[in-house]
Amino acid sequence: MPGTPLPKMASRHRKSLALVAAAAAVPLVLAGCADNAKTPGSNASAGPIQVTSTKTECKVSTGSVPSGNLSFAVKNEGTEITEFYLLAEDGLRIVGEVENIGPGLTRNLVVTAPAGKYTTACKPGMQGDGIRSAFEVTDSGNKTAVDADFQKLADTGVQQYAAYVKDQTEQLVTGTKAFADAYAAGDTSKARELYAATRMHWERIEPVAESFGDLDPKLDAREADLEPGQEWTGWHRAEKDLFPPAGYTALTAAERAKIATQLVADTEELGKRTRTVELSADKLGNGAKELLDEVARGKVTGEEEIWSHTDLWDFQANVDGARIAFESLKPALTQKDAALAKSLDEKFSALQAELKKHATGDGFAYYNELSATEVQQLAALVDALGEPLSKLTSAVVL
Amino acid sequence: MTANFLIGLREGLEATLVVVLLMAYLVKTGRRSLLPRLWAGVGIAVAVSIAFGALLTFGPQGLTFAAQEAIGGGLSIVAVALVTWMVFWMARTARSLGGELKSQVDKMADGAAWGLVLVAAVAVGREGLETALFLWAAAQAAGESSQPLLGALLGLAVAAGLGYLLHRGVLKVNLSRFFTWTGVGLIVVAGGVLAYGIHDLQEAGILPGLHSLAFDVSAAIPRSSWYGTLLKGTLNLSPATTWLEAGAWLLYVIPVLYFYIRANGSAPAKSSGNAAAPHAAKAA
Repeated sequence: MPGTPLPKMASRHRKSLALVAAAAAVPLVLAGCADNAKTPGSNASAGPIQVTSTKTECKVSTGSVPSGNLSFAVKNEGTEITEFYLLAEDGLRIVGEVENIGPGLTRNLVVTAPAGKYTTACKPGMQGDGIRSAFEVTDSGNKTAVDADFQKLADTGVQQYAAYVKDQTEQLVTGTKAFADAYAAGDTSKARELYAATRMHWERIEPVAESFGDLDPKLDAREADLEPGQEWTGWHRAEKDLFPPAGYTALTAAERAKIATQLVADTEELGKRTRTVELSADKLGNGAKELLDEVARGKVTGEEEIWSHTDLWDFQANVDGARIAFESLKPALTQKDAALAKSLDEKFSALQAELKKHATGDGFAYYNELSATEVQQLAALVDALGEPLSKLTSAVVL
Repeated sequence: MTANFLIGLREGLEATLVVVLLMAYLVKTGRRSLLPRLWAGVGIAVAVSIAFGALLTFGPQGLTFAAQEAIGGGLSIVAVALVTWMVFWMARTARSLGGELKSQVDKMADGAAWGLVLVAAVAVGREGLETALFLWAAAQAAGESSQPLLGALLGLAVAAGLGYLLHRGVLKVNLSRFFTWTGVGLIVVAGGVLAYGIHDLQEAGILPGLHSLAFDVSAAIPRSSWYGTLLKGTLNLSPATTWLEAGAWLLYVIPVLYFYIRANGSAPAKSSGNAAAPHAAKAA
């Protein structure tokens, strides 16, 4: 309460409060400490990375360093105040920065960086995007104290996957609009062409999309799975109309337009909702497993795309989604269970290689063109991958 | 030289402004005796910052970027809370000055005066670490050239000088008006400090929205120009301000100003020039 008179008692109270606050702050501050890499050795790099900033240049002494605690010594040889940033690959997220580097000064930046691609930037005059160049952190394999900060790795992975989901959703919304336009306008050949390619964005993020129980059936229900009395809308309704079986009565233009409008509206709603979805490491792990189960249940059997036979597109997209989820968690997983990470890597590659055999141009062979042996082969690889993948969540989360 | 001078000036002004306003207030209310406490707070902050900065510069351990931003940002927000409380406390005591309540006010002042130490310490300390690290970097460069250190120290000295002039100037203003305006000044400054703290936390990735800018006038007001420096040092106006910063500023300044003006009873009273408060009779 501002302005309340404070008697003596309260001031004693406040002092002890201040003491407690100060005591609490110490570990917090210490937790934010990192070794000043002044001695070569631990990091295999001799001393800090030298950065020289001038009016027109931003010279970084090396473009690639092993992961761990990185120490940059940034020297300003220009005439204006400069700043130095280490940015994530997207060039937006700040991994570390040091400001107020006056002319003639050298200031240090200490950051902990896992392996990956980064961008360095100097900002002479403290404005604009700065002078940027690519920077790479390779996997050093040796775990520095902070490298073992497992939670951070997991969090970074979740962030990466969230970005992937966002990107796929955006592409799905754009693609769905184009598909819906063609379909509503009766441009059957164009709609057929767009159908499988656009659905891939949906299939890649299916676990996230499926977490919205009301949208999933509206968008992706198959005729065989309809509940009695349920209205059939979404992708597969359009699919049957575009790839009609014998004796099928085509929808009228008005009916088509209704399906198309609904499809776009539901997809946009999905896009809106995914933006606020809370992802976590266990959701990624379980999502990857769900995608593979999805493949084993629906794609291998050819039930998903019963009229269009574009199951392999969905198949590939499900595998993509599972692989991205796994790769986002990989840095964290490698710390906990390197063997599992290695095994997953190999099995993803094997399945991918087999899928590639059926690729034609931008797309794939139609599923009804595959021989029983080929289907069997795919199924066996899916199963082989599913087994270690089911251990992913527990390995990362527990 | 000039550039380092401007950094010193900017960082110096950020710390000086709040201290000057608090000082003026104490002198005006005839509580010079409390000035040492204010200086104690400033001294503590300076000493801790310099020592900590030296430790991080020369010691075996540095501070990660995120931790540094979290300290600066967190302390800024604490400073805002303290300054806000201070402003309202002033508004109350200002009204009862010179009345029969004086003894009561002084009693209360004693309790709150310890708060003064804290306010001064946090107001100076929030930028202290960054400034100390900058100064140590300048000191390290002194081997090659003493210009950066000289420039930085000169900047700080000029900031202190400007603070002193402001202090003298503020003392000339008549009393009732003085209270209203120092309060308003402190609130606006605190709004800037809040925005600054938010920006720090955005850079550290603790708060989102670092790249959604409300406006970007850095072409018109370069951050390295002298006027850019003054605006940043006094009002903490950043030429490229994010929506979150702008929102926080408005959400803080508008309601707080409203309550503050209301707490002052009305608009500044007609100048009377003496210590008799127009609202003394209206006990709050």
